[in-house]
Amino acid sequence: MELAFDREAAKRERIAFVRTYAAWVKKTPNAEWSREQAVLIDSLVENARNMPLSPRIYIDRVAKTTKARRHLQNKTV
Amino acid sequence: MELQYSDREIGVSEKYLTQLDRFVLGFTRILEQRTAYVIVSGYVAILFGRSRGTEDVDILIPHLERETFSQLHRDLTEKGYEFLNAENAEGLYDMLCRGMGIRIAEKDRVIPNIELKFLKDETDLCVLRDRTAVKMPGAVLYISPLDIQIAYKLWLGSDKDIEDAVYLWEIFKDNLDHTVMKSRMDEFGVSGEDYGIGV
Repeated sequence: MELAFDREAAKRERIAFVRTYAAWVKKTPNAEWSREQAVLIDSLVENARNMPLSPRIYIDRVAKTTKARRHLQNKTV
Repeated sequence: MELQYSDREIGVSEKYLTQLDRFVLGFTRILEQRTAYVIVSGYVAILFGRSRGTEDVDILIPHLERETFSQLHRDLTEKGYEFLNAENAEGLYDMLCRGMGIRIAEKDRVIPNIELKFLKDETDLCVLRDRTAVKMPGAVLYISPLDIQIAYKLWLGSDKDIEDAVYLWEIFKDNLDHTVMKSRMDEFGVSGEDYGIGV
């Protein structure tokens, strides 16, 4: 089954969101935007800390991701 | 966002420090006892409010002598950090000398971690030389100059990197020197026009 997915449209939409979010941060006091951001960041850090992942598996995974990214960059340059 | 922006210094008063910020600060306080450093890549955007997480924080340092690295290795180990790569201090040093990154996390954790590398080229040297101090309540971190950071992110080119570049541009476009920004973009051979980065 082929999924109808417009990658470019999704990318434009995400960039528009980033711009809107940045505009909100710019007009919001530091204490407020940073506290809201901390709710997200701290929960991600907590989840990661509880993840049962060994250093060896993590390093292997990172090496594979880096290799794939370099391959993609070389193809597009 | 209230910023006190000047050449090579950005003040962010009343910023609430996240667990990620505290992790980075804990590490850099030990690191800076032995060497200068500069933070590059994704964490820079997160530091200024970008709403995303990251597994790792990239930090560049100048080439260290083997003995200095051994001392740093000892400092970090004694203060509760762990090297994720399987090598001992000698092996880790050799990795750094070969241009590879080594990863360091709090003991018994994997994420978040620091990816530490030696400077490898002229751009890296420039990033360290012109590093920007970010002053937060009770803390200072040194980051890559924002014009280089934005151009570099565009050059990397993944969706996440482009979004980071757009975010930093939107936050700092009124502070950045557009002529310098343009020359950075030219150096990296990138254009931000498609993403509204208009210099």
